[in-house]
Amino acid sequence: MAKAYDALIIGAGVVGNAIARELSRYRLNVGVLEKELDVGMGTSSRNSGVLHSGIHYKPGTMRAKLNVQGNELMKGLCRDLKVKIQYIGKLTVAQDQVDIETLEALKAQGETNGVPGLEIIDVEKMQQIQPGVGGIRALHSPTTGIICPYGLTIALADNARENGVNFHLSSEVTGILKTENGFQVKTAEGGFFETKVLINAAGLYSDAICRMLGLTEYAIYPCRGEYLILDKRLNGSLSVLIYPAPRKGGAGLGIHLTNTVDGNILIGPSNEYVDTADDYACTADIIDQLKKEGQELLPAISTSDFIRGFSGLRPKQTPPSVKGFKEFVIEARKDIPGFINLVGIESPGLTCSPAIALMVRDMVGEKISLEEKGNFVTERNGFPGSFHDLPEEEKADLVARDPDYGEIVCRCEQITKREILDAIENPLGSRTIAGIKYRSRAMMGRCQGGFCMPRIVQILEKDFGYRPEDYRLYSPDSYLFTGHVR
Amino acid sequence: MREMKRDLVIIGGGPAGLSAAAAARQVGCEDILLIERDRILGGILNQCIHDGFGLHRFGEALTGPEYAQRYIDKVNDAGIETLLGTIVLSMDHERKLTVSSRKGYTRIHAGAVVLAMGCRERTAGAISLPGTRPSGIYTAGAAQNFINLQNIMVGRRAVILGSGDIGLIMARRMTLEGAKVEAVFEILPYASGLPRNIQQCLNDYDIPLHLGTSVIEVHGKDRLSGVTVAEINHFQPVPGTERFVPCDTLLLSVGLIPENELSAGASVKMASGTSGAFVDDTFMTSIPGVFSCGNVLHVHDLVDHVSDEAALAGEFACRYLDGGIYRTDTPIAIEPKTGVRYVLPQQVSGKSDFTLSLRVTEPSRDRAVWVRDGDRKVARKKLVRLHPAEMIRIKVKKEKLETAGKLEVSVQ
Amino acid sequence: MKRKELTCIVCPNGCPLEIDFEEKPAIQITQIEGHTCDKGPKWAEQELTRPMRTIAGNILVKNGDFPLVSVRTDAPIPKNSIFQVMKEIQSTTVKAPVSIGETLIKNPAGTDCSIVATRHVTPA
Repeated sequence: MAKAYDALIIGAGVVGNAIARELSRYRLNVGVLEKELDVGMGTSSRNSGVLHSGIHYKPGTMRAKLNVQGNELMKGLCRDLKVKIQYIGKLTVAQDQVDIETLEALKAQGETNGVPGLEIIDVEKMQQIQPGVGGIRALHSPTTGIICPYGLTIALADNARENGVNFHLSSEVTGILKTENGFQVKTAEGGFFETKVLINAAGLYSDAICRMLGLTEYAIYPCRGEYLILDKRLNGSLSVLIYPAPRKGGAGLGIHLTNTVDGNILIGPSNEYVDTADDYACTADIIDQLKKEGQELLPAISTSDFIRGFSGLRPKQTPPSVKGFKEFVIEARKDIPGFINLVGIESPGLTCSPAIALMVRDMVGEKISLEEKGNFVTERNGFPGSFHDLPEEEKADLVARDPDYGEIVCRCEQITKREILDAIENPLGSRTIAGIKYRSRAMMGRCQGGFCMPRIVQILEKDFGYRPEDYRLYSPDSYLFTGHVR
Repeated sequence: MREMKRDLVIIGGGPAGLSAAAAARQVGCEDILLIERDRILGGILNQCIHDGFGLHRFGEALTGPEYAQRYIDKVNDAGIETLLGTIVLSMDHERKLTVSSRKGYTRIHAGAVVLAMGCRERTAGAISLPGTRPSGIYTAGAAQNFINLQNIMVGRRAVILGSGDIGLIMARRMTLEGAKVEAVFEILPYASGLPRNIQQCLNDYDIPLHLGTSVIEVHGKDRLSGVTVAEINHFQPVPGTERFVPCDTLLLSVGLIPENELSAGASVKMASGTSGAFVDDTFMTSIPGVFSCGNVLHVHDLVDHVSDEAALAGEFACRYLDGGIYRTDTPIAIEPKTGVRYVLPQQVSGKSDFTLSLRVTEPSRDRAVWVRDGDRKVARKKLVRLHPAEMIRIKVKKEKLETAGKLEVSVQ
Repeated sequence: MKRKELTCIVCPNGCPLEIDFEEKPAIQITQIEGHTCDKGPKWAEQELTRPMRTIAGNILVKNGDFPLVSVRTDAPIPKNSIFQVMKEIQSTTVKAPVSIGETLIKNPAGTDCSIVATRHVTPA
């Protein structure tokens, strides 16, 4: 028996989920197929979390337009979904006259793109914004921001779910058939779906989806960026993002330091093409280079400040021999009516996601009439936001009403049992340790789960009946335990 | 929010906190509150089911839980109040604590505080272990918790990185529970754990120990499939020595870090070399009335020493409440010199005898540890065996300190 | 004449012992160096002729506030019976309550010791 949809989205990343949420405003049957055990397990969660202002893109291009629009839309979206966002601003720093000319060109380009508030500032103003920053001039872009990328991806999915979108996790698309009225889609797990409109938001695997429909003109070349995460001890060292003015043929990784909304600092990303779209390894050479360049940018960093490394893959359309960027592909295929194809949504994809969702909605609207629902739930209900950030008196009140808020499970990040339970009992039904981590932020602190993971394991056992062989880190075969000892 | 005033608050109900509480009561402190985040007292000892604890203190080789019970009984028999399942969220420099439990938030204004929070394990992330991100990588202590307290087995074929005692103990535990331990790898040219543990945890079970070797890469997409190891020279892998060791479990025993988040939050002055607070011979930190002891002060090798140290801290905390702590304007600084990694305390008043604790930088035999004031000998201890893994303690008499300006401690 | 290097495990000092010994007609230590107390040579002799160990483990508990009760041998056992003793520990189940010090298994694998509990386990 096929599950029938009006619109079926392949890929529950930030773009797919933004589209899902947007479409859920209308009287449509919407489904999302996601091959992993949870949403956002690809590029969406593994990046700097930066909301770009839009100064770097050529006027008139899709990226320029979507970036500026997306940046503006994020404000309201994050407010509604209770996702952490900070318009922290950015300094693009000039070291010499050539750089200053670059800054002036960037400013002009940004203004053409509609980026507000751009200003070239002098050393005095630079020092006011970021004491100790080097350079002779800087372009200040106040609309550059930081966001929690996995927080947004999950929040979009939760809200879409609340508005009736069906998420099919562990559903890897293996075949697509174009039919008279739409598409038939089958999955590796034996699932069978029918849909009028099919939306390819499969990120790193968007080329594979294209090939299932006979489109061979797209290829994705995964390009890995490694990061190091710094301890919160350094929180406050940077009050703004600092990038060097772009130069031709620069040496080193050209990496930068980025604050996270939770008070960590990221060093990275590096840039290295890899062979497969799941090669998330971190490499010794890059780690060393990140440490070296990071310490040059911020001398206060000591060896004990590195708490973890991770990597993300950019879904590049340009091969290693070519490098550079190709424009986003966001198209309603005329040769395959009903197929909306998104390919190569790398940076600034996160920033663009709300704007991409509107663009895709319009494409869907050409195929199916869009009638707004009366009861669209705009705000993410049942989610109080970050408990940790609440004022103490409010926290004390919540604890008085719900003792689970008084029981701290993750000591480093001060995450409570209630937040762990909410993460476990998430609307999508995803049950992995990584999923609990991304939803609650437990295990993300200095001890990396040393204290809290045994407690989380115990909660799953006592409150959810887990046996040792039931636990998964992130994938079906990533078992944690082999059984009971006795 | 509930507010209360308490005389002595002890943060941590492990061996240090328990000993401090018992000792404080013994010298007459009436109002004591011991706060513990777990639902039981005993701290890390609860999962250390092997023996070897208490040889100095009790003349017996007790297991961890048995040692803990001795002190739990002392605390319970003395009627000392304990708050279980309670965590201290913050402490300020005026000894105001905010604590959280299922019962709610409470603000406690303490007359004196003893910091006894213990330590945490260094992680794979902290050593930037290269490679993929499969399941199956645990710190040794976390694995010990799963096996001994939760009846959960972590894997079947293990490699252990780090020859510290916890790694050696877990090599034996995994083997006794039916797992195959392929080897223990240690990056330094010498083992960090006690030789008796090498004997009865590795040699007894024919588990090889490879010194000067480390894990340089982790493999496996979903679950660990193996590690690449290589010989290490000057902290760099030696090309050509790499080999793949298949395994499904990697246990990390790569160091313990005193858990001083609370101390940092209160701006307690930290010492260099211990990752713990800067203290004097009363175990008082830079904040008047705040004392520190046990693993949160400096990582110990024997729980017996933790108990000794904590008892003193508890007594001094009690004395502080009675107004009897002497803080001189001209303390005698103590500095580690040749061959010494750190000393504790880092300064003394000179008005009483004290025990100096220290660790050496490298293994050696038949040496002496000298405590000098300029050229003058203040104390000296001859030792057959010196090892970074073993804390050395030297009693220093107050008569020797009378004219001291600064003390330097070295190995000769 | 044979030489062996062993670390004494009687106390945390872990004295490195250098032992010269004859194997025939029976094991006899001719010279020993490295010990700092008289327990060392006694232990060395035992270790060469009939090495003994104490071991710790866990026994499954039914209806307790802990799933396992930690246990130990209350006297040293021959090193070569460790795994047989572990087998008995592994195949035993007890019911809460358990008191610290309580004997849970007598003479496991025919050895001259008891397996005793090292913690309290109260009914859940």
